[in-house]
Amino acid sequence: MDILSIGALLLVLMLLLLGGGVWIAITLAICGWVGQAFFTNTQPGLNLFSSFWESNASWELAALPLFIWMGEILFRTRLSEEMFTGLAPWLSRVPGRLFHTTILGCGIFGSVSGSSAATCATIAKVSLPELKKRGYNESIALGSLATAGTLGILIPPSITMVVYAVAADASIIRIFLAGFLPGLLLMGLFSAYIAWWSIRNKALMPPPEPVLSFAEKIRLSKNLIPCALLIIFICWSLVAGWATATECAAYGVVGALSLALWSRSLTWENFQQGLMGSARTSCMIMFILAGAAFLTKTMAFTGIPRELAEWVNAMQLSPYALIGCLVVVYLVLGTALDGISMIVLTAAVVMPMVQKAGFDLVWFGIFVILLVEIAEVTPPVGFNLFVLQNMTGKDSNVIAKAAIPFFFCLVICIGLITVFPQIVTILPDLVMGKQK
Amino acid sequence: MNSLARRTLDRLYFASAIFGAGCIAAICFLMIWQSIGRQVGWTTGAVNDIVSWLCAAAAFFTMAHAFKNGDFVRVTLFLEKMSPARRRVFEVTSLFVAALAVGYLSFWACRFTWQSWEINELAQGLLPIPIWIPQLSFAAGSLLLLLAVLDELQIVLRGREPTFVRLVRERHAKGDFSADL
Repeated sequence: MDILSIGALLLVLMLLLLGGGVWIAITLAICGWVGQAFFTNTQPGLNLFSSFWESNASWELAALPLFIWMGEILFRTRLSEEMFTGLAPWLSRVPGRLFHTTILGCGIFGSVSGSSAATCATIAKVSLPELKKRGYNESIALGSLATAGTLGILIPPSITMVVYAVAADASIIRIFLAGFLPGLLLMGLFSAYIAWWSIRNKALMPPPEPVLSFAEKIRLSKNLIPCALLIIFICWSLVAGWATATECAAYGVVGALSLALWSRSLTWENFQQGLMGSARTSCMIMFILAGAAFLTKTMAFTGIPRELAEWVNAMQLSPYALIGCLVVVYLVLGTALDGISMIVLTAAVVMPMVQKAGFDLVWFGIFVILLVEIAEVTPPVGFNLFVLQNMTGKDSNVIAKAAIPFFFCLVICIGLITVFPQIVTILPDLVMGKQK
Repeated sequence: MNSLARRTLDRLYFASAIFGAGCIAAICFLMIWQSIGRQVGWTTGAVNDIVSWLCAAAAFFTMAHAFKNGDFVRVTLFLEKMSPARRRVFEVTSLFVAALAVGYLSFWACRFTWQSWEINELAQGLLPIPIWIPQLSFAAGSLLLLLAVLDELQIVLRGREPTFVRLVRERHAKGDFSADL
């Protein structure tokens, strides 16, 4: 059997197990085992033990549970409720007015919480009723919430980015830094669409809120200031190189705990739930990473990725054609898988290929994360659509339709970073020096 | 299964998960202690080793509880479109496959941890303690996960809905998406 047929066989096995509902981590490990037991002369038992142990007993990975914990703590404070009251007074003169609370709220909340679904649900819970009460168009609000909810995984510190960095063996801080500009670009695109829509549909916009004095505005948003300081502090210690990603995450937890204490929302019950929640979520992710580490070993022993990369190379595809094919692959995977599984599953095979074609792995990380965002707002299993469907009782197809213009903003963003990769690489290169 | 056995098992999974959560809190504490220590000039190199073992322990001890709670991700796209009878067949098959795989995993986890103990292998790094002590979390955690998978298998074989499906459905009905990424 030649190497590529072994690869194809493992792929078919994987698709069968995944489709049948076997847990993703277990599927990855089974495929890894079949590859090693039948097509190599290694000891699968020993490799299984060492890949599970080495992938989980990792100092770098310790940033993951801490960042998750930080998000869990802030998720249980009143931060999300204060987001709307705090942001609204500043937006009364911007075209599109309070619609922008959805984008900004998701951007800010998403940066502290690593979860798209939680970001979408928390911001929607407060913003949707407020916007509806004031007579704002519901379709735009739903569309922007569904899509902007996914900002959580693009704006650092992001859990998906930590997972990508571990899977691609890249620097966590470098990937975080790379996410800033695309995140801002995407927020800008969303806001620009809202502004454009509201200028064209003046008749559908409700009357503006009374303009408040500056002191009044500050008073209303004073509760957001500590959170803003926490974000700035985390970003700054990363940019200035004061702390490693894991230390940064630990300070983030302390900051989040003090913020929760200060706003009097830190109860013993909240603390327990947050900690248990972060233990479960990080366990889930680390279990997948361990399964994938075992599969990666199989890949290294059999040489499938190298062979595949050469095969792709021999086809003389232009780099853009390769990227085009990968977009299709990720969009198909995205119809059934969540973002983290998608990244971990493809890491062993796709990354050598991408590197061989001359793409930067940091750039590719941001690119994949944007594709994951798209997958979260497209049927049949766009998870944010499902969240909003549950919260509003509207059919997910209605919400998907409302999200179409914002979906195109995502597509534009992907196009821009493909044509101008500097958007992604300039910040990490500037701060950490060019990568060798 | 009588209710006493049920309660004991659930408490066991949960107690183990509390231990895992405690490891995360300990990581946080140690990282801060280390970053302060570096400023003051203490030698804190061994902290990195402890943190990596705690990180592994946090994941291994929580596995059984996270599995029962429905946090382990799987593709449900096709399962949700099936008739209840067919879905049950698939759930039983998945659990059977999982039981085999986790059984294999825990066998090797125990075997190599045992071996580390037997030859008294020391940890490489700045803290040369016997490596079987941190590795114990892997052996214990995987055995507990095996127990949880077998537990679910017997629940489904008795014709009831798997716990990991029921709990996710109940959470989503309450509008709680905090466990979904």
